[in-house]
Amino acid sequence: MKKMKVLIGNYGSGKTELALNFAFRAAEAGERTELLDLDMVNTYFRLTERGRMTRMKEIRLVSPNFACSGIETLSLPAEVASAFAMDWDTVIFDVGGDAVGATAVGRYHEDFMELEPGALEVLNVVNTRRPLAGTVEKVLHLQEEMQIHSRLKITGMINNTNLATATTTEELRHGYEILKEVSRLSGIPVAYTSGKKDMLDAFLAEGHDPQYIGQPLYIGTFMQRDWDSWIHGLK
Amino acid sequence: MALTLMKGSEAIAEAAIRAGARFFFGYPITPQTEIPEYMSARMPEIGGCFLQAESEVAAINMVYGAAGTGERVITSSSSPGVSLKQEGISYIASAKLPCVILNVMRGGPGLGSIQASQGDYFQATKGGGNGDYHLLTYAPASIQEAIDIMMFAFDKAEKYRVPVLFLADGIIAQMMEPVEMPEMVDFKVDPEKKPWAATGWKPGDDPAKRAVINSLYIETEALSVHNESLQATYREIEKNEVMWENYKTDDAEFVITAFGTVSRVVKSAVDELRAEGVKVGLFRPISVWPFPSDALRETAVRDQVKAVLDVEVNEGQMLERRDQAEDPRNEGGYVNVCRI
Repeated sequence: MKKMKVLIGNYGSGKTELALNFAFRAAEAGERTELLDLDMVNTYFRLTERGRMTRMKEIRLVSPNFACSGIETLSLPAEVASAFAMDWDTVIFDVGGDAVGATAVGRYHEDFMELEPGALEVLNVVNTRRPLAGTVEKVLHLQEEMQIHSRLKITGMINNTNLATATTTEELRHGYEILKEVSRLSGIPVAYTSGKKDMLDAFLAEGHDPQYIGQPLYIGTFMQRDWDSWIHGLK
Repeated sequence: MALTLMKGSEAIAEAAIRAGARFFFGYPITPQTEIPEYMSARMPEIGGCFLQAESEVAAINMVYGAAGTGERVITSSSSPGVSLKQEGISYIASAKLPCVILNVMRGGPGLGSIQASQGDYFQATKGGGNGDYHLLTYAPASIQEAIDIMMFAFDKAEKYRVPVLFLADGIIAQMMEPVEMPEMVDFKVDPEKKPWAATGWKPGDDPAKRAVINSLYIETEALSVHNESLQATYREIEKNEVMWENYKTDDAEFVITAFGTVSRVVKSAVDELRAEGVKVGLFRPISVWPFPSDALRETAVRDQVKAVLDVEVNEGQMLERRDQAEDPRNEGGYVNVCRI
């Protein structure tokens, strides 16, 4: 059965990083994998910048017209239809941030409706260290808005709480507490908790309720800026 | 205080608000449209004013008017948009009005492209508009640094009554970093401290206390006096406001100069070269006007320094400062430029 994952979420929640991780994992398991860059909002730091990396792993990458070309008027390519028409094992949609970004995926809601039951995962990637996702109310609000704009029902949340290079297990705990409450109120389960191996292992060892952790997802970082790792202020 | 992960545009906009900015006038342009986007949502929440003008020219003239009231006013744009603002900036500089202007540089000249660039260094540091004026200009290298500078930028602008310019680039605006956001500053216009501000003169009030915002001096003599007072302010700024960073330059045989985001690439390179035993360091101006000439000379013109390399995402505009650093014993060829 063709499996599809649609990653939506707040700006900067880590959708692209997770899209790459899911795609690499599938490709390494020998699955025929397609990855779609459906971010119609950002012009910098987007999935298509890692095009070479994905092609080397024999993942088919679909990008918006003019992505990474120095033009900001992106448009959806007809090639998106290949996700539905062709015979893939795994298809991953990396959608732009917030409700604005989620709008792009709404265009395909009829195609999604024709998928076999259980084939589609619509995942809300949450980083509670982002200012607009820092409270239960904010996550619920964003979730509602994104569902309306994407015309899709969110099937699960991903706790991907991080502070880039400054991440500690405290971040995952912060995300856990907020998503526990969001899950209780919305009925949407926590499908995954993601993080670098050492961080995630330390968090899992703390013995939190597995219901609000979902599947642990060890991730690598592929979207970091190769040239630096420092946080710098004047203090 | 907890760290949050913020995009440069959001963080700079929020920092401006925390520093007391309550008026934003702008016009969208990549790669800084997230700044007006953020302001459009945030300003109404705190009783401020967000106004998308019909053009950059209109936006900077709105800044001119609002700054005349003594309020904290900010505008942002990217290179071609900042070019459009230059006439207004010159007027504001002449009228001695404090404000903050953000330039999130992109490729040029002309419309150029949307990728990050440092091509507006000349424009930022050598005028831009007409007349003998300068802007107090900062080139932040990280989002946190941009926040920290914003928290004193309005104070400096008001102290000297000059516009402050942020010379940032698309990378700073678009990337995300963990940051610590300072508390909201409690800012209110104090007419006693800002006698120049147009805060509401009424008929019957002392005519001498009427604030006149002006950049037109019909009499040559008056214009001359005005210019002398501007220049006296710039000399004062040059004396007090120079900022720079030395990174591993104490024993350096090779000094690399870079500003803004590029300095981070250089810093990584310095660390890698140091690990290989190369004695190399970074000199980074934080204020690009006033330029830290003395500090650069002290860093670069030393017997132990064999070469200076300047790295910029332009054709070497800051390199034109080589006269400040050049060792007279080395006739030419002392400074090399690396263009990205």
